[in-house]
Amino acid sequence: MKLIEFQSVSKSYNGRLAVEDFSLSVEPGERIVILGPSGCGKTTVLRLLAGFITPDTGSISIGNELVARDGQNLRQPEERDLGMVFQDLALWPHLSVKGNLEFGLRARKLSASDRKQRIHEILRLVEMTEYLKARPTELSGGQQQRVALARALVLQPKALLMDEPLSNLDEELNRRLRKEILRLHQALGFTLLFVTHDREESAELGTRVVFMRSGRIERIESQPSPTAVVGPN
Amino acid sequence: MTKRRWILLFTVTLIVTGIACNGKHSTAPTVVVYVSEDQVFAEPILKDFEKETGIEVRAVYDTEEAKSTGVMNRLLAEKDNPQADVYWANEPMRAAVLQQRGIAAPYISPNAAEIPATFKDASGYWTGFSARARILLVNKSVKDGPHSVLAYTEPRWKNKGVVANPLFGTTTAEMAALFTIWGDDRGKAFLQETKKNGVRISTSNGESADFVASGESEFGLVDSDDAFNRIQQGRPVEAVYPDQQEGGIGVLIVPNAVVAIQRGPHATQAHKLVDFLLSRETERKLAYANCAQIPLHPGVDTPPHVPHIEKLKIMSVNYAEVAAKMQQIQPFLKEWVGY
Amino acid sequence: MSRRLVLTLAVSVVVVAGLVPVLVMVGQSLAAEFHTGFAYYRGLLASGRAWTLAGHSLALSSITTLLTVGIGTPLGILLGKSDLPLRRSLLLLFAIPMAIPPYVLAVSWFNILGRGGTLAHWLGPALASHSSDWLFGLGGCVLVLATTFLPIVVLITVAQLSSIGPSYEEAARLTSGWTSTLWHVTLPLIAPGISLAAVVVFLLSLGEFGVPIFLRFDVFPVESFAQFSAFYNFGAATAAALPLGLVTFLLLFLEALFLRSRSYALRRGPDAQTMVIALKSRRTLLLVVLGIIALVLVVLPLGVLIVRSSTAGAFHEAIARGGASLVRSMAYAAAGATGLLLIGFLCGYLIQTRALPLWRKLDFLTVFLFTLPGPVIAIGLISLWNRSVTSFVYATPAIIILGYLAQYTALSSRMCASALEHVPPSMEEAAQVAGVHWGRRLVGIVVPLVRKGLVAAWIVGYVFCLRDTGMTMLVYPPGHDTLPVRTFTLMANGTPELIAALCILMVAAALLPLVILATTLRPTARMA
Repeated sequence: MKLIEFQSVSKSYNGRLAVEDFSLSVEPGERIVILGPSGCGKTTVLRLLAGFITPDTGSISIGNELVARDGQNLRQPEERDLGMVFQDLALWPHLSVKGNLEFGLRARKLSASDRKQRIHEILRLVEMTEYLKARPTELSGGQQQRVALARALVLQPKALLMDEPLSNLDEELNRRLRKEILRLHQALGFTLLFVTHDREESAELGTRVVFMRSGRIERIESQPSPTAVVGPN
Repeated sequence: MTKRRWILLFTVTLIVTGIACNGKHSTAPTVVVYVSEDQVFAEPILKDFEKETGIEVRAVYDTEEAKSTGVMNRLLAEKDNPQADVYWANEPMRAAVLQQRGIAAPYISPNAAEIPATFKDASGYWTGFSARARILLVNKSVKDGPHSVLAYTEPRWKNKGVVANPLFGTTTAEMAALFTIWGDDRGKAFLQETKKNGVRISTSNGESADFVASGESEFGLVDSDDAFNRIQQGRPVEAVYPDQQEGGIGVLIVPNAVVAIQRGPHATQAHKLVDFLLSRETERKLAYANCAQIPLHPGVDTPPHVPHIEKLKIMSVNYAEVAAKMQQIQPFLKEWVGY
Repeated sequence: MSRRLVLTLAVSVVVVAGLVPVLVMVGQSLAAEFHTGFAYYRGLLASGRAWTLAGHSLALSSITTLLTVGIGTPLGILLGKSDLPLRRSLLLLFAIPMAIPPYVLAVSWFNILGRGGTLAHWLGPALASHSSDWLFGLGGCVLVLATTFLPIVVLITVAQLSSIGPSYEEAARLTSGWTSTLWHVTLPLIAPGISLAAVVVFLLSLGEFGVPIFLRFDVFPVESFAQFSAFYNFGAATAAALPLGLVTFLLLFLEALFLRSRSYALRRGPDAQTMVIALKSRRTLLLVVLGIIALVLVVLPLGVLIVRSSTAGAFHEAIARGGASLVRSMAYAAAGATGLLLIGFLCGYLIQTRALPLWRKLDFLTVFLFTLPGPVIAIGLISLWNRSVTSFVYATPAIIILGYLAQYTALSSRMCASALEHVPPSMEEAAQVAGVHWGRRLVGIVVPLVRKGLVAAWIVGYVFCLRDTGMTMLVYPPGHDTLPVRTFTLMANGTPELIAALCILMVAAALLPLVILATTLRPTARMA
């Protein structure tokens, strides 16, 4: 069964092709890394999947449901049931850690006790339980990353999209967080689409690596992974 | 700010707005009046009307500074769906325009019976009351001062006179009145000779009065209220009623005028307000107020500086004709002023 | 409700409140002119008066614009970017004239320079007669309008300066002094903002009629109102206003065409500190110079009003005569500001995110309406809304609020758009992927992030609604006048003491929300 499917998707901005004839199928529980130099269109692929932009031609499906086709957005981003960690993390500065996590849960009309339980569980997983009431600005860079991860995962999305989230961190922290992501993946078994320009990140995180250049897929490589586990998702 | 404070602020805003918007909507009978007479003088009269009759007055005021554009334009713009019941004009020419445009409704008030026919429309489309006069203000240092508007053209008064810009206000009315009496040719000749005689053109009647008071000019045609005002301040000026001599054309009187509005929403109350404004009592109050207006009813009690109308020789004009003439001579006046 | 629907609704409000009335009026006027074979225009052009008026109008607007930009830009730099002492107080002081109707300043200067004024009292009537001649004409109009519109340039300069990322200036400062940095880096970066300010000042002075009427200076708008008053001729009056409309349209069009594309992305990080110019030894000198300017332009005219009003009975009479109007003014202004904030926020959001393709047209429309003379909008509103079926709008204060929306949406939408510019799109996108619908994203994420900007937009909206005279005077329902209108009408033969006291009340009402804000925001200021 395919979880996510791109079928010859193209997208251009102001007459310049950002993504061209992009096709890719993703199985549940896979960890896909999209790798390429800046401006190759890899972020555009994520934004197409999230629904912030609409493909000019081609189609995208999530869980066998067509979400976009030929210039039409059939499902709005809020209806696609995805989680995303942004390059700038986009933690809402006016809300506490709890507020950041709860905002999406409220939209899903979960009861207060369910929300509390989910937030507690995910914070325990990312080891941030004691920061429930903290504001994002009071946290260190690594802690902010964990909160961003937790905020995306607490919704138990169909897939987690990450847009170069580690690029601004020092090497040590970068390495620690990669381990963290793998650990969480093992625990929760989510499907991951990870965009980066860093070969080391891609080697460690991906079960498959999509090499992109100038808006096109150059090649796709599978790599053996010690941590590939099909989870309960 | 906390969320609660925001909600509080928002609620307070709503409540205050609610109060302000609805506070005045009572069930009491109301009358809507548009007023071109200065608010300072008109408002106390309307307050008295409220007190006396229990009818709530809702007013729209205007000012000469805005060339009375507000109220007249509203009346014209609202023609198809009138909001006003009564218009209190500060001169009868506007009232005459309203009559021409089909906005005035005829109403002959019982209180208008004693007002001389010159100052009202025979069919009751407008009725005049408390008036200003167009008088010569003369500096007291001048011996044997002028007694006629013709002084403007006499060599003796070369470079001595001042007149307000005739494109505005009562000065336009005065010129138009002279044109209706003398005919266009003589009117134009008068203005041209006046100019040749070195008349000074001021921006307003008030400024003319100041020129005369400071002695920069020796005399000038102004409204009687401007004159009384300077006299009360103790300035060295005296008011002269022009052209009172045997065979003279008389002094131009500019009365207030009240108009009932065609299809106004509160006709009954409108008539009560018209009656009230045309009463001797209202005229007496306006005579004693700072505007020092001249009552048109004979024998109304006035302070010493306000004359009795029956003792004056009055310029006999048809105000509707004056209104039409004002529009007609506008291009000539513009040219005359130098535009 | 969907995003598209709500935004379309907001746009419709602006169109219905502002565009439709103006179009109806212009349509009627053109039809009437066509009927008479464009008699008004032919007469105007034949008399040569058109050229006199155009000359006066252009002279007034150009000199006012040159002065405000020439003084306002350096003033903005000193107040927004240097270590000048008292700069916040000075900024507030210079901003006050914008909070009051321009005619108040004209009245005040008349009290100083007129024939019976303070100057005459001190220096004798001979000098006062010259100063009075000067006041009643181009000079006086420029003085009053430049003082009124100076804050626009100053505040826009300050706002633009604070949005420049510091690295541009830091890079320049490594190689050159402040003079060169300001001239070659800072000023070019904020030039588009200053140009917009210049265009707005030019258009506002072009459309201003209250001050030229009071000071008897003939310009196009005055001619338009002379048409109203002398001939009661709507067609001709609109026709007289039409050249103004065309000039406005043309200038804004050029601004949109040439300047908007040149505006730079100045976005900066939330923690970036703007560089401050150290004035060192020149601090005192500059403070004295600015102090003198503020003294002449603001303190003197306001001071004269305060002195005039400080007689025993003046405030008592002012409250008795204008108390109800004062309360109404504040309530309408608060309601107007709230409506403006709502519509302006949605329009600003639309302009910033370009959510609907017509965002550029909307921006253009709001600025166009902002620069139209108030009475033009008012006459349009009357001809559109005064029907028996719509009397629930026309015969109630709703018509005033509608007029505010028509005239001032540009202010709130531009302010909201520039506040939103500082919010990265990812903030809303993060909520969107989390499954949160648009309405809740706005309320839960976007609005809290720009709340300071929204408070500022509300206050500016409040101040402009509060001071409005030209539009309100023509549409207020009987018995519902506002304080500026009442003061304006009481000016004819009201005592100078009463008028001065009413003006002081107006200034106080305009400053009230600032005071409330200062007291309520202080404890939580650090949160932001």
